[in-house]
Amino acid sequence: MSAAVHPFWLDPMQMLLVSVGVFLLGGLASLLLGGRERAAIRVSGVAGIVGALAGLWSGCRSLVGPVHGFDIASPFPFAHFVLRLDPFSGLLVAVISLLALVTAIYSFAYVREYIGRGVGPMGFFLNFFVAAMLLVVTSDNAFWFIVFFEMMSLASYFLVIFDQNQEAVSAGFLYFVVAHAGSVAIMAAFFLMANVTGSFDFATFRVATIPSPVNSIVFVLAFLGFGAKAGIIPLHIWLPRAHPAAPSHASALMSGVMIKIGVFGIVKVGVDLLGASNGELWWGLWVLFFGAISSVLGVVYALAEHDIKKLLAYHSVENIGIILLGVGVGMIGLAIGSPVLAVLGFMGGFYHLLNHAVFKGLLFLGAGSVIYRLHTKDMEKMGGLARAMPWTALSFLIGALAISAIPPLNGFVSEWYTYQALFAAALSDSWAARIATPIAAVMLALTGALAVMCFVKAYGVIFSGPSRNPHMAEIREVPRPMVVGMALLAAACVALGLAAPIVAPIMGKIAAATAGVPQITLASGIMLIPGNAHQAVLSTPLVAILLLAMAVLPLVLKAALTGTGRPASRRGAAPWAAGYLPDSHMPVTAASFAQPIRMFFRPLYSMRNDLSRGWVWLACAFEGFVAWARRTEPRWDNEIIAPVVDGTENVGRRLQAIQGGDFRIYCLYIVVALVVLLALAVR
Amino acid sequence: MFPDLAHFALAILQAILVLLAAPLVSGMSRVIRAKMHTRQGPGLLQDYRDLVKLMQRQDVWPPDAGWVFRAMPVILMATLLVIATGIPMFTRFSPNSVCGDLITTIYLFALARFFLGLSGIDSGSSYAGIGSSRELTVGVLVEPTMLLSLFVAALLAGSTDLGTISSAIAAGRCHSIMAAVIAGVAFAFAIYVELGVLPYDMAEAEQELQEGPLTEYSGRSLAILKWSLALKQTIVVGWFIGLFLPFGAAVSLSPAALVLGFLAFAAKLLVIFAVVGVVSNSVARTRFRFMPRHSWAGVGVASLAFVFYLVGL
Repeated sequence: MSAAVHPFWLDPMQMLLVSVGVFLLGGLASLLLGGRERAAIRVSGVAGIVGALAGLWSGCRSLVGPVHGFDIASPFPFAHFVLRLDPFSGLLVAVISLLALVTAIYSFAYVREYIGRGVGPMGFFLNFFVAAMLLVVTSDNAFWFIVFFEMMSLASYFLVIFDQNQEAVSAGFLYFVVAHAGSVAIMAAFFLMANVTGSFDFATFRVATIPSPVNSIVFVLAFLGFGAKAGIIPLHIWLPRAHPAAPSHASALMSGVMIKIGVFGIVKVGVDLLGASNGELWWGLWVLFFGAISSVLGVVYALAEHDIKKLLAYHSVENIGIILLGVGVGMIGLAIGSPVLAVLGFMGGFYHLLNHAVFKGLLFLGAGSVIYRLHTKDMEKMGGLARAMPWTALSFLIGALAISAIPPLNGFVSEWYTYQALFAAALSDSWAARIATPIAAVMLALTGALAVMCFVKAYGVIFSGPSRNPHMAEIREVPRPMVVGMALLAAACVALGLAAPIVAPIMGKIAAATAGVPQITLASGIMLIPGNAHQAVLSTPLVAILLLAMAVLPLVLKAALTGTGRPASRRGAAPWAAGYLPDSHMPVTAASFAQPIRMFFRPLYSMRNDLSRGWVWLACAFEGFVAWARRTEPRWDNEIIAPVVDGTENVGRRLQAIQGGDFRIYCLYIVVALVVLLALAVR
Repeated sequence: MFPDLAHFALAILQAILVLLAAPLVSGMSRVIRAKMHTRQGPGLLQDYRDLVKLMQRQDVWPPDAGWVFRAMPVILMATLLVIATGIPMFTRFSPNSVCGDLITTIYLFALARFFLGLSGIDSGSSYAGIGSSRELTVGVLVEPTMLLSLFVAALLAGSTDLGTISSAIAAGRCHSIMAAVIAGVAFAFAIYVELGVLPYDMAEAEQELQEGPLTEYSGRSLAILKWSLALKQTIVVGWFIGLFLPFGAAVSLSPAALVLGFLAFAAKLLVIFAVVGVVSNSVARTRFRFMPRHSWAGVGVASLAFVFYLVGL
């Protein structure tokens, strides 16, 4: 353990241990306080805030700093308990902590909804879930990595089934099956590497040269295992069912950060652990392919949803796809020996990873606030909520603009870098990259246009227009802690976009450190530069200033040309309905708004049904297996144990015949026995 | 490069000139339509008179409309003006290159479209809602063609900066002339769809949807909105001219070159709008459900440009 930087402050690794400790203690305390529910909410929330602040400090400090390690002997002789904080895991620690902080603030009010349904265990699972994620991203030993990975999956499984209704339990079961199928693939990948190196330490994996076919097998296994966690298509099927079932602040954590651990794993294995054995070009193309497919299909499926949380969950699939586009270009860059491409690709992916955590967390919290008031997830029963819940509406709008990659917000900046990475790859010498990357860019553009449509629909149908809810009069803004949670993330969306000239070089450093190549120029003054200024330049602060300044022009025009006399504006009667009396069924609904897309992209929807049929078949097969086991288990009882028990009982019953209850008969037995024994002895 | 003061002044000047010219351009379409119908029709300046007249009228909002509905015309115009600063129109370089990247321009158009679409739902009118659904759907369908054709042009120039593409094409500095020409054709198709005129008049179809997202606007807001839509038409055509027909545009900031560049731009703009006017008045509206056939054809042409780029013909 390295020495403390300052006698008072702890170094990042010590701070991380403090953070994990606080989360674990907070979880246990919340469980023990089970009966006193308000106290449990408070303890779990305060522990979340303290732990998250410590984690945030630790993560931010290790973004640019040196690598910190921690190593103690564990009860298992083959696996030391090793932690490692490098810039990439520092980024993940910071992202996890940021979301944990916001959800902890949000939970003070939100969890009151669950009083009487076991808030103690909820605080326990939530805090353990965060602690497990912090340990997964920092553990540096395959055995402990798997242990914490399982702990993370289990804690989140219990959050998914928290509502205990039929839908939640069946979604949880599917999640459980897919998560464990993924773990098996990851374990197999680690065992293959351990087989070559003879150790479970990542440090030895990192320097070992793994021979050619084995390294590709390891990569594909890890990609599938972590891909199932990340929710890439076609391994996504659990995601749109499990995320909506969990309580909304848990959904924010699952969608915002847990699926990023899938991406983290792919980069960890493909770039960090297999770094010494030189990745092949097709790995990057493979990642690019799945990224492009996931991004387009994720948003196409999201458009057809009218359950707000399912819609957001499908958008997570889309954004994982976008992150993988960046990562794919980075891996191509490493394979063809172009450090500029590697840094540009990885930094685009990492930047989007951070951004997606922020705006998806925000959108899930916004959805949670709406559900908190309306008690429904169905968008068709919402509408016009902006009047009753102005702060929720404004935060959700900022999140919607950010996820649609609207300049100058954060989603746009990371997508811009991803486009620039794809463009740079299209100019490279590799023919495969020259063909693949422009196609991926087109997919990304299509994704962007569909995302705009989807979020116009989401915001519009929930917050705009006439209300379709009969209880509209009673609806008011959510309590202050929930507003503060959302406002923090909304501010982060704006800040990460406008302060891109500061953030981008940090992301570049993380990318360069992860890929092991030199840093490139990513910003100068208030300009963003993708490696070289000839390729393109962008300045989000200037775009923001110009947008504000240009808005003055139409206002001046209005003021200058307005007539005098009557008031310039007034609220009129009902909207024009071609002469008919307007009623609440006339305005567009979530379904009718997306109907053209459902019509034009019909083949993609039928493909989803075929795909999910495959998974449903797997789940059915598993359920069949369980049922068979259930039938078979009594058979063991009936056919082997029961006859033995029955036989013994029969013998006992027969023996009862000689138990007369009269002590003289027992004396007679003793005499007979003595005579028999004597006779035997004498003979 | 970060724009210096001279470039910045040119950028603002360009945006304001385009804004002032926009009603003239839309007025010209009306004149051409009247001529083709052999009727007298309005004068060339009729759209200016209409705007001034609308500005005097009262703004009436539907009862359910929120601030999005009210703010949309201003947001739309402001966004379009920012786009206008970054596109090379009178020059072969972008006057405001930090907003003049092809990705930034496409996504700024998305910002405009986001609020235009949202206002349709916010108005509470069913026609406006369907209009905004169509507006966004057309945006989805045309996006692949637009991006791929621009991407090919950018690959030819080695940069996504609009000014660099413009000067590369003007100087013939690209290794595949055919690819540039075909990309230009595909981009022209995408631009034509973005103009929102027949046969692709989907979102604001008067006869079908009572002008779609415009249905509930009136008075000052309608004036700003109509002006913005004319501005958008002028900007997208200016975008096409700047990238694929940059001939005659200024290469430096000298006043003489700028004036010549401006005149050349005005001439090209008028010719293109005359052609658009003739085409749009001689066709019928495409049925909305057949729109994908047309847009896939556009993607096909753009892909052809990409293939030509790859083989380097």
